[in-house]
Amino acid sequence: MVKVFERAGYPIVHMCNLIPVSTTVGANRMVPTISIPYPLGDPNTPEEEQWKLRYHRVGVALDALATPIEEQTAFKVKI
Amino acid sequence: MAKKVIYYVNQFFGGIGGEDTADFEPEIREGQVGPAMAANAALEDAEVTHTIICGDNFMGSNTQEALDRIEKMLEGKEMDLFIAGPAFQAGRYGVACGNVCKMVGEKFGVPTLTSMNVENPGVDMFKGYTRMMSGHNAAAQMRKDMAAMMAVANKMLRGEELGTPEEEGMFHSGRRIEKFLEYTRENTAAYRGVQMLIKKIKGEPYQTELEIPERDVVPIAEPIADLSKANIAMVTTGGIVPVDNPDRIQSASATRWGRYNVAGLDKLPNREANGYKTIHAGFDPAAADACPDVIMPIDAMRAYEKEGKIGKLHDYFYSTVGTGTTESEAARMAEEIIPYLQEDGVDAIILTST
Amino acid sequence: MHMKLTIGNIHVKDVVVGSENSFKDGVLTIDKQAAIDYLMGEDDHITELDIVIAHPGDDTRIVPVIETIEPRVRMDDRCLFPGVTGDLVPAGEGELKAFKDCCVTVVGKEWGSFGDGVIDMGGEGAKQTYWSRLINICLVGDTDEEFERHEQQKMNHALRWAGHRFAEWIGKIAKDLPVDDEEVYEFDAITKREAPKNGLPNVVAVLQPQSQMEALGYNDLWYGWDMNKYLPSFVSPTEVFDGAMISGSFMPASSKWSTYEMQNFPILKELFAEDGKEINFIGVIMSNLNVALDQKERSAIMVRNMALNLGADYALVTEEGYGNPDTDYVRCMVILEDAGIPVVGVSDESNGRDGLGQPLVVLNDKLNALVSTGNVGELSDLPACATVIGNLEALNRDGMSGSWGYDEVLGKSARDDGSIIMENNNWFCGNHISGFAAKTIVEW
Repeated sequence: MVKVFERAGYPIVHMCNLIPVSTTVGANRMVPTISIPYPLGDPNTPEEEQWKLRYHRVGVALDALATPIEEQTAFKVKI
Repeated sequence: MAKKVIYYVNQFFGGIGGEDTADFEPEIREGQVGPAMAANAALEDAEVTHTIICGDNFMGSNTQEALDRIEKMLEGKEMDLFIAGPAFQAGRYGVACGNVCKMVGEKFGVPTLTSMNVENPGVDMFKGYTRMMSGHNAAAQMRKDMAAMMAVANKMLRGEELGTPEEEGMFHSGRRIEKFLEYTRENTAAYRGVQMLIKKIKGEPYQTELEIPERDVVPIAEPIADLSKANIAMVTTGGIVPVDNPDRIQSASATRWGRYNVAGLDKLPNREANGYKTIHAGFDPAAADACPDVIMPIDAMRAYEKEGKIGKLHDYFYSTVGTGTTESEAARMAEEIIPYLQEDGVDAIILTST
Repeated sequence: MHMKLTIGNIHVKDVVVGSENSFKDGVLTIDKQAAIDYLMGEDDHITELDIVIAHPGDDTRIVPVIETIEPRVRMDDRCLFPGVTGDLVPAGEGELKAFKDCCVTVVGKEWGSFGDGVIDMGGEGAKQTYWSRLINICLVGDTDEEFERHEQQKMNHALRWAGHRFAEWIGKIAKDLPVDDEEVYEFDAITKREAPKNGLPNVVAVLQPQSQMEALGYNDLWYGWDMNKYLPSFVSPTEVFDGAMISGSFMPASSKWSTYEMQNFPILKELFAEDGKEINFIGVIMSNLNVALDQKERSAIMVRNMALNLGADYALVTEEGYGNPDTDYVRCMVILEDAGIPVVGVSDESNGRDGLGQPLVVLNDKLNALVSTGNVGELSDLPACATVIGNLEALNRDGMSGSWGYDEVLGKSARDDGSIIMENNNWFCGNHISGFAAKTIVEW
């Protein structure tokens, strides 16, 4: 899917937990998520924490869309 | 009894005419037309009983209709092998040969064979669905391509096992299928694995059962120049759908997708609120059912829209299920989604996966 | 200093149900009522039980299959599965007797789940599983586990435990019987080995059993311990043979290792066969399979370091699963290759129904020695069988991994005439990654 969108000219960022899988399927811009069942908010943490994490990582993804890259890149996240 | 072969050619090789007749509608003729004559002469114990002719334009712009008509023409006809081409480097003809061979294989379960040049776009599209000879780039080499193809055709008609693609001058199909072995200890995976290891230890040659293919890379798309003006679309393979799953997306090996309007929503209502849930079978759904935004973060995107970090969140998100879904299905679904993105002038995409 | 496990094999020519327990002239007779009374007495969640025998070649389809187990007895009278069917005691040494050529097959009478599968005893479908070659002593039951009745993921606790108890109960019939042949597995303490074994290339097996359900109760157990809450450990292959591990209920059926497969783990047996000849088999690093990337990395690091510290020169890695588990499988092989420990991997592939998909979700060109045991996506379209043990409707209704209730092109999996169409995913342990598979993948 990622490749088809990118081939059509769309910058695309893949948010996923398993960066090696994303690399293998050919995503160029990647942002890690925290897990498979809950990529963007651990239900064992307070809602406020979940929101902060989700807001941060989606923000990193948006910045990734505006960032020039030379090769497949997994962008770093802080929380 | 001689075996039966049916042949496919385009308007040019069918003697109808050149580019001006490329709209020629499919037609079936008894006997051999054009290259089918040379093919017939090269067959050992078989004959070409019919030739189908179809214009490349007609096939290209009315593909499904052309295939449906050809399917009807073939119904009830005896056929042990179906041959199309050679198509050389002619792109539309190559794709037509591939399309027809794929249809015949799927609808009639009959082996198919074609030939085209490595530069032909039909190669990558269809090498997994038909036996495909690696042919020359121009019709001047017809004699050579035909000879190579008919050598394989005769083998196929005799029911002989084909050699490696290199030996036969064919493309690798890339299609991996199961092969059952006689039930002996030596054939078990346990024995094969341990013996492979011993060969690896001793530095002796061994054959891996899965060659790692080369990675297919896509050119990196240009970044967005100005995020604050950009229209961003959200896509997920995490199976977030309205609770009644209106598009009946499968929870594994999905072939369907849905688009759901989130205009005006500040976050996704959850399953309990009769809003959204996940139908993905590959993980515990509890977290996403309680808060669908953990997979499809509409709340965060809306916040960035309100802050002006992005110009707009596209009104729909797109959803399917990633587990067990084949690459070809996933690619098709993406192709189907793209027109909706184009229509709304989407600039970039965030795809979330589980 | 060594662990010695002796398994005396008693070959079974036929199994019948009757009113006594006996074994005469190769015929194993099971006292059906006594078995049912015992098993229902052990667990009041079981509401219904039946025992039905299916033979190789029978025109019989069994579905939903939950588990298979080999009937055995420990000569010291301890339980077969420590921490599961009895006290927690060390496994891996001592004497066992086993009824060969048969298995206890646990079947849901009504309800299936994601990880359950299908066995065909005859016809074209019989080539799909090893079980079709054995006499299946089917334990068919239902329970009052209402909390998971309509869940796609089921623990199937009552029926699985009944299966293990039943295998143990049948095994007791073997206690005083003469054996036909004997398998002896001696695992010498690795620091006390002598030439010529010591000096041969040191080979370690790395097993990655299924442990990806974060909710407990669905995963493989190690001495009764849920392997989701577990980190890689060094174990003796004889422990695996001797019931230290039982299978779980999660993972598409064809990629599972059943308890029978653990008891007879063919890859480990083949390593023993070369031990002292071509290799020095230094044991098993029992790892696991994880969900999150950091968990996967942690296990891979621990496997690598354990292999290095054990002095492993080579490794054979195998995973119980496909898809997400491929990330653990590939990572583990790559980290070992990078540490100078060349690897062979054994697993199945997911090439999709058309065979054109990417075989493993992660690929790495360092993987140059792989064994393939099947494609989870291949379709089977098979005629009805005269007899169904269990409930065919489970294929349509219960979210089994390789079947469906609706498909616009293919229709439903269990058709009204009893014929079926489903993916390889549904064959119970069909790809036999544990090593039973006499099947590979070739390019079309």
